Amino acid sequence: MEKIIEVKNLAKVFGNQTALENVNFNVKKGETFGFLGPSGSGKTTTIKILTAQLQQTSGEAEVFGVPSTSLTNGSYRRRIGVLSDNSGLYQRLSVEENLKLYCDLYDVPKKRMDEVLDLVNLSGETKKVVSKLSKGMLQRVLLARTLLHEPELLFLDEPTSALDPANSKQIHEGLRRLNEKGTTIFLTTHDMSEAETLCDRVAFLNKGKIQLLGEPKALRRQYADGSITIELKDGNIINLPGGTEGADEVYQYMSSNQIVSIHSNEPTLGDIFVDITGRELV
Amino acid sequence: MTFSMKRIYAIFQKDLKDVTKNYFVSSIIILPIIMAFLYSRIGEVTIELHYLIINLALSSVTAFIQCAVIAEEKEKHTLRSLMLSPASLTEILTGKSLVSFILTVVTIVLCAMITGYSPTNISIIAIAIIVSVLFYLALGTILGLLSRTVVEASVIILPVIFLFGFGSMLMALVDQYPILAFVEYLPNIQLVEIAYKVEEGLGFGDIWSHLGILVAWAIVTSILTAFVYKKKEMD
Repeated sequence: MEKIIEVKNLAKVFGNQTALENVNFNVKKGETFGFLGPSGSGKTTTIKILTAQLQQTSGEAEVFGVPSTSLTNGSYRRRIGVLSDNSGLYQRLSVEENLKLYCDLYDVPKKRMDEVLDLVNLSGETKKVVSKLSKGMLQRVLLARTLLHEPELLFLDEPTSALDPANSKQIHEGLRRLNEKGTTIFLTTHDMSEAETLCDRVAFLNKGKIQLLGEPKALRRQYADGSITIELKDGNIINLPGGTEGADEVYQYMSSNQIVSIHSNEPTLGDIFVDITGRELV
Repeated sequence: MTFSMKRIYAIFQKDLKDVTKNYFVSSIIILPIIMAFLYSRIGEVTIELHYLIINLALSSVTAFIQCAVIAEEKEKHTLRSLMLSPASLTEILTGKSLVSFILTVVTIVLCAMITGYSPTNISIIAIAIIVSVLFYLALGTILGLLSRTVVEASVIILPVIFLFGFGSMLMALVDQYPILAFVEYLPNIQLVEIAYKVEEGLGFGDIWSHLGILVAWAIVTSILTAFVYKKKEMD
């Protein structure tokens, strides 16, 4: 499959502080790729390098087969959408006026505004002045603006960090629909459930280094210890080890018809991250 | 390099709406107009005084508004979003300069009407003022790009208002302090020189050296603006 992003031996040093070190990964066309890590792990630095907002110290970062620095060219700018904490809105203008500017900049018909506002559940808020919006609404307007020109490649830096669960769910559904239509999504988050819901592959970033990379399901299987949890009719919940020892006990409970449910114990992505890095994802 | 009138117009329209709602910035145009009223009451306004008002309009209205508008875009992270759009450096800076340009022209025309300034050769004066506006736009843009906040921008711009707005007063000190000789080459002083020569009935052939210095200021600051913008495009 065609690679949209290709990163080789990427490094970024600020003064005497290493933000990224020997980072290698690629993102395939149509994929949702999650870049996961706690604050300060280098996620935003990576997005900035990939979107030509920052020059790497060494290594290669290619987007659409060209060095990411070429993305300053308008024709490439049309193909990407960027939502980060560096994105801003005009506070004195309405939602509609903010979006209208970007319709003109990207040469997009105005009717597209309704589609993206519907996607982020803000259809009735077009006349509202941005300074009167809540943080969650601001984030949704920013996302709507990012999606206006239907970019081939979306860079989303913590897109749902300011949203409540209901709005996050709606954004996730919208992003899934976009991805089904072929949009490639590069997502940074420290929300593991978001990553599990959306991402085809994830990379764990810690202190500027990729610690693990793979499909969420495969990673969970890889780090599963084979243990199981059974719930008994008397209300007890028992954890059993994998292998013959656990199997014998399960057999006993089953023979005596005591079992309500059996679950395999797979770790969450958050558990795996803590396991590998020794750090919590905050 | 792309040049789309649609994108320039979109940025201009947005800025026009934004600046008219931003009283902190737009109220600055009152300053030269009040000065024009005060001087018009004194009696006959000399060329020196006409240009004290015009230079104040250029440094306060043109440079300050441009500086504040750019600094606010930086502070609110909207400049970054513009930089990430398909709009080129030329489109963004042209679009963002149009509001300051129009407000400056309106302010200078109003001030001239109030003080009764009617130049002998309007075309030479118009060209000289337009070149000056380009210089002040570039200067305002550079200072705006270098400021982190609007408050910081409004402090950074003060020496500019003093030097270019009231710089002609420094001319009186040049003989006493030779170190101030550079003041003679400042764009505001060149503008006054052009105005005097025009009133003496001289034409383009006699003012070209002053106009040349003005153009040089505008070109150098424009190149510097592009350089600073490119630096700021990258974190």
